[in-house]
Amino acid sequence: MLFKIYKKEMKDSFRDKRTLLLTVFLPILMMTALTFFYESLIAGNEDETYTLAVETSISSTQEMILAEMENVELLKADHPETVLEEGNAHAAIYFASDFDENIQAGEVGHVEIVGDTFSDKSATLMHLVQSRLTGFEQMIVIDRLQQANVDPAITQAIGVEQREMNAENSNTMILAFLIPVILSIAIGVGAGPSAADLFAGEKEKKTMEALLMTPVHRSTLLLAKYLTISSVGVIIGFVTLAVVAIEIALFTEHIKAAVSFGDQTAQILGIGLLVTIVYSFFVAAILMITSIIGKTVKEAQSYSTPIMMVIIFPAMMLLGVGVNEFTIGHFLIPFVNLFTIITELVFGIVDYGHLLAMIASNLVCILVIFIVSRAMFTKDKWVLD
Amino acid sequence: MIEIQNVTKRFQDKKVSVTALNHVSFTVNQGEIVGLLGENGAGKTTLLRSIATLLTPTEGKITVNGHDTVKNPDEIKKRRGVLFGGETGLYNRLTARENLEYFAALYHLSKHEMKVRIDELSRMFGMRDYLDRKVEGFSKGMRQKMAISRAIIHNPDIILFDEPTTGLDITASNVFRQLVMELKNQGKTIIFSSHIMEEVDLLCDHVAMIHKGDLVYHGSKEQLYKEENSRDLNYIFMSKLVRGSDSYAI
Repeated sequence: MLFKIYKKEMKDSFRDKRTLLLTVFLPILMMTALTFFYESLIAGNEDETYTLAVETSISSTQEMILAEMENVELLKADHPETVLEEGNAHAAIYFASDFDENIQAGEVGHVEIVGDTFSDKSATLMHLVQSRLTGFEQMIVIDRLQQANVDPAITQAIGVEQREMNAENSNTMILAFLIPVILSIAIGVGAGPSAADLFAGEKEKKTMEALLMTPVHRSTLLLAKYLTISSVGVIIGFVTLAVVAIEIALFTEHIKAAVSFGDQTAQILGIGLLVTIVYSFFVAAILMITSIIGKTVKEAQSYSTPIMMVIIFPAMMLLGVGVNEFTIGHFLIPFVNLFTIITELVFGIVDYGHLLAMIASNLVCILVIFIVSRAMFTKDKWVLD
Repeated sequence: MIEIQNVTKRFQDKKVSVTALNHVSFTVNQGEIVGLLGENGAGKTTLLRSIATLLTPTEGKITVNGHDTVKNPDEIKKRRGVLFGGETGLYNRLTARENLEYFAALYHLSKHEMKVRIDELSRMFGMRDYLDRKVEGFSKGMRQKMAISRAIIHNPDIILFDEPTTGLDITASNVFRQLVMELKNQGKTIIFSSHIMEEVDLLCDHVAMIHKGDLVYHGSKEQLYKEENSRDLNYIFMSKLVRGSDSYAI
């Protein structure tokens, strides 16, 4: 009987255009857009050209300092800041009128850089100009020390070398953030219409009453409907992951390089699918209870929407946390543990203890929600209009 | 046989308690057709829902063929069919056949029984032309026929209809009346509520009148006519209500 109800609910759900749209087209659209966006973001810095506005009166020496920067075009203008404000340049630079003379005289030459640190391009250009001026400054200092018969090495007391733990760290981190965000949104949004339709929708359409008239136990009805919502979530999750995998493999270069798992590929993909199943069942349980509470589809959706927005918070919480800084607590909190587990997987880390903690905590939550839902579903107040 | 014994149903809405049925008792014997009369909000639907095992009485008990509606609802569910009028809830994205097949499966009909029964009902209601069409484009009459078919898909002994002809056109209403007559000939027990006195007069051999949760009359229709010295059911109904409540005003 369970299977008969499940089969009918699946058929009914997938005949709904909204479900089809959200299960197939939405993940494809979202993932395609984001994959290409991040690929261009990662690759972008290499070929990006920046425009630096300079005064028309710039001297040949000053121009020579700046000309050594690659990918930077100089745009001469009477008022560089106006050019910047109009969006025709990414940053502007002003050399003090006595800059050349002061440098020649062994004094301080003043420079002002104007830009917008909230803009990636502007911030990058400002950083490039700053680095170039620092390099030029070092050259001047060495020259001045040599003229004063002082060994320039005296100015260097400590030699610092900074090295990234993982050369592809920043690119991998972007993916570790991107995949769970998209996955959780796709599952939450995609399974929502089915969930709302299966309980609140049945109350609204008055089919719930007809269902309850039959000799089928309410627990069987509840379980079949829960499995339907979960299945829709799992299908969306799998489609999302498949789209990501195919697009990364076929259409990207930099992201592909950042997530090369080697021999672990099958293992990591398998765990990824398992995590998607567990998460889908967890989200389905939440969506189910909001649908039982709602008397209409609209009411059910108004309960589930704020909960689904909570999904974004773990992503924000974990933004500044490195993969090696996760504690067991990060794997025990539902929603948060989707992000931490997938981050580990993207970095090629397989920790079965963490995986077990994630699965166990989600199962406990699912069980509690299911017991509460069952208690509600047996009460007339929640199932009859 | 349906035995309603001293049944009271109260609904608690926040701090307000509403008595929908107040110590109602009567018996419906096998093969009887009982017309349940009452104004909107009188308690007719609550009584039908209680007999249907959908609601639990606050006090008293209801037995259907000896089975208690609270203690043994599953046995009753297998043997009774229910249709709540005006609420022809159907699955719009499924075809008429798929709707009927689904409910036949829920009532544990075998594939063969299912096929035979769907053929029988579609012939009886003239639904063959649209049996394989999705329900979403159906007219109200078509939907009502579908809902009636669904209610009796498992060929129940006891049938409860709550205002079954609401929204039906004349042809569909006549089809329904013919169906009730046919079910009566088959020895089915039927309780149906209605506002249409002509319908009750035509189909029922017994009448139960409810007013504000109280049973103001139950007995045979002929006995009622004799007692009231009139065959105008509409007039009798109104005068019963006046006598049944001090506060009632025409």
